[in-house]
Amino acid sequence: MLKPCTVSGYFKSASQVVSNQLNVSGTVAVLPTRKPVQIPFQGNSALSLSRALPINANVSVSSGPAVSTQIRWAHTDINVPNFDDYRNPATKNPNKKSTDSEDSRKNFTYLVAGGLGASSAYAAKSVITQFVSSMSASADVLALAKIEIKLADIPEGKSVTFKWRGKPLFIRHRTPDEISTEQSVAVNNLRDPQHDNERVQNPEWLVVLGVCTHLGCVPIANSGDFGGYYCPCHGSHYDASGRIRKGPAPLNLEVPAYTFPTDDTLLVG
Amino acid sequence: MALSSAIYNTLFKRTSTFALIIVGSAFFFERGFDLGCDTFFDSYNKGKQWKDIKGNYSQ
Repeated sequence: MLKPCTVSGYFKSASQVVSNQLNVSGTVAVLPTRKPVQIPFQGNSALSLSRALPINANVSVSSGPAVSTQIRWAHTDINVPNFDDYRNPATKNPNKKSTDSEDSRKNFTYLVAGGLGASSAYAAKSVITQFVSSMSASADVLALAKIEIKLADIPEGKSVTFKWRGKPLFIRHRTPDEISTEQSVAVNNLRDPQHDNERVQNPEWLVVLGVCTHLGCVPIANSGDFGGYYCPCHGSHYDASGRIRKGPAPLNLEVPAYTFPTDDTLLVG
Repeated sequence: MALSSAIYNTLFKRTSTFALIIVGSAFFFERGFDLGCDTFFDSYNKGKQWKDIKGNYSQ
């Protein structure tokens, strides 16, 4: 009866070794006997330690998902280098808690970061200031600047001061009384003889530079003996046409070049 | 130790106060830096500027 356990018996004859009848008793070659050199073991590194493993011995190796394959060697022969020069002095002492010095160590870090932030804020502010100031008008443009004034904003009898080319500019909306007074002044009696018509384009509007012709002070509007301008520095009196009437100033107030582009606007410059 | 903890907890711990510290110190840093640069410039160019030789010309 053929059973799996008896099958091997039928193949037994094929599995038996038959001698090949060759005579191998004669010596073919004499190999030198090897003398192993005994080198004293020096386990200085992980490689030499692994070399020292008995390869032919029955080493038991366990494996599996929960089995660690890490091999720990007792490195009692290797000195750990001294890193004290690179370590924070606050954490060198192993008997002290590092949390005790935590705040002071953080303070140092934040001081460095804050110092960097402050200096970069200064740098950013300088760059932005330089850039913005490069966009403003330069001095040669300002020296030829014009100023346009809305006349409707100046009520009658009022003198308004503007800044024009670095100097004060007086614009006076004259009342009919002032116009008739200035028109009727006798020119021959004046120190700097100029008729009112030579000084104004439109008798309602007087445009003069607010610089006293004596020593360059800025006169005060609507004061003085002649109802025009009065210089407080040395007491020069100007009338409502800007002419010098009393005091040390030699000339009338300067009239700049100006036009009336429309009825309601004044362009000086 | 107590001082550094107080500084850390009041000034550096919160971002808001830290940013305020940066802005405030930038103000003083700017003043000090500009003054220091001017002082260095004046000392480096001593005797060359108008304010140094002004006394040689009587007015």
